[in-house]
Amino acid sequence: MATSTESVDLVGDEAARNLARAALFAALVGAFAYVTFPNPVSPVSVTLQVLGVFLAGIFLGPVWGAASIVLYLAAGALGAPVFQGGSAGVGQLVGQSAGYLWSYPLAAAVVGAVVHRSATPRDLDAVGVPTLVGAMVLGTVVIYAFGVAGLALVLSLGPVEAVTVGAAAFLPAEALKIAAAVGIVRSDAIAAN
Amino acid sequence: MTLAYVPGDSFAHRIDPRSKLLVQAGFAAAAYAYTTPRGLAVLTLLAVGCLRLAGGGARDLWGYRFAAPVLVLAPLVAGATLGEPWFRLDRAADTALASYRILLILVVAAGYVRSTPVRDSRAAIQRTVPGKPGRFLGVGVGLVFRFLPLLKRDLLTAREAVRARGGEALPVRDRMRLVAVAGINRAFARADRLGTALNARCFAWNPTLPRLAFGRGDYPALAVGGGLLLAAAVAVAP
Repeated sequence: MATSTESVDLVGDEAARNLARAALFAALVGAFAYVTFPNPVSPVSVTLQVLGVFLAGIFLGPVWGAASIVLYLAAGALGAPVFQGGSAGVGQLVGQSAGYLWSYPLAAAVVGAVVHRSATPRDLDAVGVPTLVGAMVLGTVVIYAFGVAGLALVLSLGPVEAVTVGAAAFLPAEALKIAAAVGIVRSDAIAAN
Repeated sequence: MTLAYVPGDSFAHRIDPRSKLLVQAGFAAAAYAYTTPRGLAVLTLLAVGCLRLAGGGARDLWGYRFAAPVLVLAPLVAGATLGEPWFRLDRAADTALASYRILLILVVAAGYVRSTPVRDSRAAIQRTVPGKPGRFLGVGVGLVFRFLPLLKRDLLTAREAVRARGGEALPVRDRMRLVAVAGINRAFARADRLGTALNARCFAWNPTLPRLAFGRGDYPALAVGGGLLLAAAVAVAP
C-alpha cells in the first residue's frame, strides 16, 4: 500500500464560491436545454441554452462566465446530457452543432466584457438597457457567425445554404431571448449580488 | 430516454477512459479525412463495433434524435438549386456523406457515454490536463453531473407553477423570463450553499482520485485510436 505525503492545497473562499457558481450555472445552461418554447416562425421549437450563455456573461462576468460555459461543454463531452434535446458526447463537439457550441464560451466572454467593461463584474443596476441589448446582439452575432461557418464546414454546404439550415429559422427567437434577458436582469426577483 | 452511463461489464467498461477518448478523437479525425463511400463503409463497421463493445445498441442512438432534422435537411438544401436542373445530385451526395459521417461520430460517442462513469471521466481530465485548469475542469464537471438533475427539476417545477396560474396565456417572452428567473435564483441559492459547504469540508485543489491504470484491454484500444489518427494524418498530408 503506497502512502501519499502530499499536503492539502486548500481552495480559497472566493475561488470556491466562484467555482460553485460557475458549475451551477453550467448545470443551469444544461437544464435550459430541456425547456422548450414554441418558435414563432418555425415548427422547430427553441430552447433556452443561448439565453443561459448570455446570462452567464451578464451574471458571472467575462472570465467566470466563459469558464462556466467551458465546464458546460466539458461535461457534455464527457456524457452529461446537456446538449440540445438531452444529447451528449464528444461527437457533438465535432458534429453539425460544433460551430455553435464552440462559440458559446467566446459569446459569454463578449457579453460579459461589454456589460461589465472589465474582468470583474460590476453592479448590474449601473448597466443601461442599451448596453445590455448591444452586448447580447453582439453575442448573437458571434454565436451565429461561428455556428453557420461550422455548419458550412462540417456538412460541406455553401454560405447561403448554411444560413438557410442554421440561422434563418432561429434568429427571430433570439430576439425573444434578448427581450427576456433584459426582463430578467431588470427583475427585482433575482437575489444574486 | 436520454443517453447515460449504464453499469456493466463489457469490454469498453473495463478499459481506461483515456484509451476511449483517444479512440473517439482518432475516429473523428478519420471520419473527416475519409469522407468517401468506401471510407465511411469501413468506419461504419468500426462504429457499430465500438458501440457493441460497450454493450450498446440502436436504443442508445434515440438520444440523438434531435440532431436528425438538420442532418436530413442539409443534403436536401445542398442539392436544391434555383433554376435548371433544380436538384443537383452531386452536391446533395457530398452533404449526405458529411451528414452520415456525423452520425457515425455520434455512434462512437454513445459507446463512450454508455460505458464511462463520471468519476472516471473526471479522473481522466485531471490526469490529462495539467495544473489548476485540469482540477477546475475535473471538479466542475463532477458538480455539473451532480446538479443537473436538481436544476432540471427546479425548472420543471417553475414551469408547472406558471402553467397552474394561467401563464400559458402570457407572451412567450414573459414565460421565458419567469422560468429563467426561477432557475437562476435556485441555481445561485444552491451555489452559495455549496460554496460554504465546500469551504467547511476543506475543499482542496488536490483531492484523492480513483486510480486509473492501463490494462491488457487498453493496448488494442490505444492501437485503434492511434492508428485512426495516423490514417487521418496520412490522408491530410500533402
